[in-house]
Amino acid sequence: MGRLDGKIVAEKLAEKQGVQFYRLRSDKFKTSRVDIFFVDNLEKERASGNAILPSILKRGCQSYPSITELERKLEDLYGADIGGNTLKKGEAQLIGFNMSHISDRYTMDNTRLFDECCKLLMCILENPLVEEGGFKKSVFAKERDNLINYIRSRINNKIQFSLYRCIEEMCQGEPFAIPEEGTEEDAFLLTPRKTFMLYREMIQSYPAYVYILGEVDDTSIQNFIDNFLKAGRSNIKSIKTPDVRKDVREVRRVDEAMDVNQGKLCLGFRTQIDPCSADYYPLVVYNGILGGDTHSKLFQNVREKASLAYYAQSVLEKYKGLMIVMSGIESENRQKAEEIILEQVEEMRRGNITKDELDATKKSLETGMKSMQDSQGAIVDFFLSQHLTNCADDIESTAEKFRKVTIDDVIRVAQNIQLDTVYFLKPRNLKEGIA
Amino acid sequence: MNYRTFVYEKLGETLYEYVHESGLKVLFVKKPGYNKKTAMFGTNYGSIDNVFKVQGSDKEIVVPDGIAHFLEHKLFEQEDGNMLDKFSKLGASPNAFTSFNQTVYYFSCADLFEENFRMLLSYVQNPWLTDENVEKEKGIIGQEIRMYEDNPNWRVFFNLLDCLYVNHPVKLDIAGSIESISKITKELLYDCYHTFYTPSNMVVVVVGDLVPEEVFSIVENMIKFKDRGKVEKKYPEEPEHLNKEYNEQKLVVSMPLFYMGVKDNVRVSGYDLLKRRTALNIVLNDVLGRSSELYNKLYDEGLINDTFRFETSLDKAYGFVACGGQSPDPKKAAEIISEALSETAARGISEEAFSRILKAYQGMYVRSFNSVDNIAREMTDAYFNDASYFDIGRVLEEIDISYTNKVINEVFSNKTALSVINPQ
Repeated sequence: MGRLDGKIVAEKLAEKQGVQFYRLRSDKFKTSRVDIFFVDNLEKERASGNAILPSILKRGCQSYPSITELERKLEDLYGADIGGNTLKKGEAQLIGFNMSHISDRYTMDNTRLFDECCKLLMCILENPLVEEGGFKKSVFAKERDNLINYIRSRINNKIQFSLYRCIEEMCQGEPFAIPEEGTEEDAFLLTPRKTFMLYREMIQSYPAYVYILGEVDDTSIQNFIDNFLKAGRSNIKSIKTPDVRKDVREVRRVDEAMDVNQGKLCLGFRTQIDPCSADYYPLVVYNGILGGDTHSKLFQNVREKASLAYYAQSVLEKYKGLMIVMSGIESENRQKAEEIILEQVEEMRRGNITKDELDATKKSLETGMKSMQDSQGAIVDFFLSQHLTNCADDIESTAEKFRKVTIDDVIRVAQNIQLDTVYFLKPRNLKEGIA
Repeated sequence: MNYRTFVYEKLGETLYEYVHESGLKVLFVKKPGYNKKTAMFGTNYGSIDNVFKVQGSDKEIVVPDGIAHFLEHKLFEQEDGNMLDKFSKLGASPNAFTSFNQTVYYFSCADLFEENFRMLLSYVQNPWLTDENVEKEKGIIGQEIRMYEDNPNWRVFFNLLDCLYVNHPVKLDIAGSIESISKITKELLYDCYHTFYTPSNMVVVVVGDLVPEEVFSIVENMIKFKDRGKVEKKYPEEPEHLNKEYNEQKLVVSMPLFYMGVKDNVRVSGYDLLKRRTALNIVLNDVLGRSSELYNKLYDEGLINDTFRFETSLDKAYGFVACGGQSPDPKKAAEIISEALSETAARGISEEAFSRILKAYQGMYVRSFNSVDNIAREMTDAYFNDASYFDIGRVLEEIDISYTNKVINEVFSNKTALSVINPQ
């Protein structure tokens, strides 16, 4: 297999029983990997159950019934890795599993690592530790405790916590308000049996995407696919598309006090733009100019000119059409920071955008699209996102759409961006916070 | 043009090494097929270097905590504007970091490597400080410090270092404090710059799909500064014992957080440092890794969860190993872990565990070459410890059980310290 000149395409190997299998070819990496994503609608009653599944499955399987045995096997396979997690992409909840290992040519004994590692991955997916028609009770109980503790520990990271709270307030009543690990009260309601039934549903009926990367021969891949579908899947669930449109009648303001030193200001906006629509590309450029990078209006004005913050940035939530501006500031500067931020948004709306700002943002996106191809994880994430949004563009045609964005396009999308929620995590009076 | 080529055939990597006439060393790793190119320009000067002899004078000075990091922020500012803007006009993403022992300026890009690389080499040689721009930065860095004050992982880590070290400046927060940075002046920053930003104390590392001659000739043309001679750093005498065994702080967290550690009092550098680091990692993995019986016991008893981590931090000037995470009962978890570590020191590691974990580290070493940024970072870090990152391949071939057991004995018979963050 020769060089591919950096072009990576998703080659569809099969689409059967609700599973799409893709091969992403690139021969420059030293590892091979498989990523599997099961997709469910994000719903309050199901979210914690879905979220606990990877944690339970990673605890072992019938051939390797404990973390110790499983991890020792992975170490023996040259530090191969098996992981699992839950992701939220818009109003879909994804349960992801992945396996990766170094390519056979780097081993001492030319072990066929792909086949071995797939066997292990399938063992975890298909043969979990069970008893009395449910998950093994001791494993289940521990992982439920861990899930609840994890949900509670959201307050530890104040930047993440303020972002999470801002979204929760902003999207009240919409599925997007549900966090990816679900809620504490729903986690308490889980039982070994109910969770096991959810697991069966995931294996049999959630639509799934599978990506295979690295130096793997065709026979091994075919065997993996056959194995994956061996048990048979049916009644494939349909996944709803989130509604990105919402007319904001009144800006919601939420202040919350906490014993912290630095205040965290989060401003949530509605962009009204669907992913993969024609306006999505100018929106990404808009976000870059407003607060994406060091050249952005927010970085320049909040940090460099006013010295109010160390970070001031904006991020997009692609699937739900949201944009959140975040900054860490002293409590007394809250008003000033908010004014400067909103002024920048207003500047965007008025079209006060220079060619330099546009060019720098587009070049930075170009660099991003190219660099993304140097990370297997980022490649998977790109194609997963395309597939979830039914977007036919590959890397090159996506890059081309960014290149074609004009200032007028950016000004056009700026007109519909509406402030929805202002959230402030406010330091309670505590001057002697630190010993 | 004179440069050396090292081919690592089994690993499938090639390293090129060039020494500029000023004494500046340049390391280049070619990554065929990669779009991303990363270049780093670093100095072996970090937060621990706060007592030194200023170049060209006999006076020894003590500078305010956090000054290396402050200087890192200020170097981006140039007479004709901010460097961050210039890089971003070319589509590159520039950044810098300051750690205990190094300050590194870097960018990554996909196109226009030469233009970006010239800018990097140029601005690091040309500081432009004014009283006004130094003052302005105090607000920004002040907020960076405030952000870390609220970060429980950061606090639990530095509180542990304060337990481990009596005098050594590794215990000081990298960014300093609001109070210490208030004392920073333009003149002090220039003293630091002129002392540590000198070719023989610096390194350039480039990784990407580029041509070695082209990389090296850019350096040849761009490096204007002359070497100012050997840097004289001074670290205080550090006793073997702990500063204190326990530290506790209250922050807004859901569950207590702990980090415990042991000081390594043996100082090594170069290949020996990489080997010692590897030995310590293998042992920690054996005792505390996910594959260990202890990890599973603590996990089952609910004394740790999957936030549990361990690390080996070994440098020419200091060394410690540490581990921790969330726990409802840090003292109990720490007691069990301490006991297991001293037991291992007495018993040694088993043949089976050693070879199994070694294999996993071989895999991780291979894996680390997937990422251009990671290679550049590891190369820089190894260089400042007088080693080459590629020597790890040799370490993994040469390391054996008896060496590993000797190291365990030297380190894990020392006393452990514990740092805890409790919920308010």
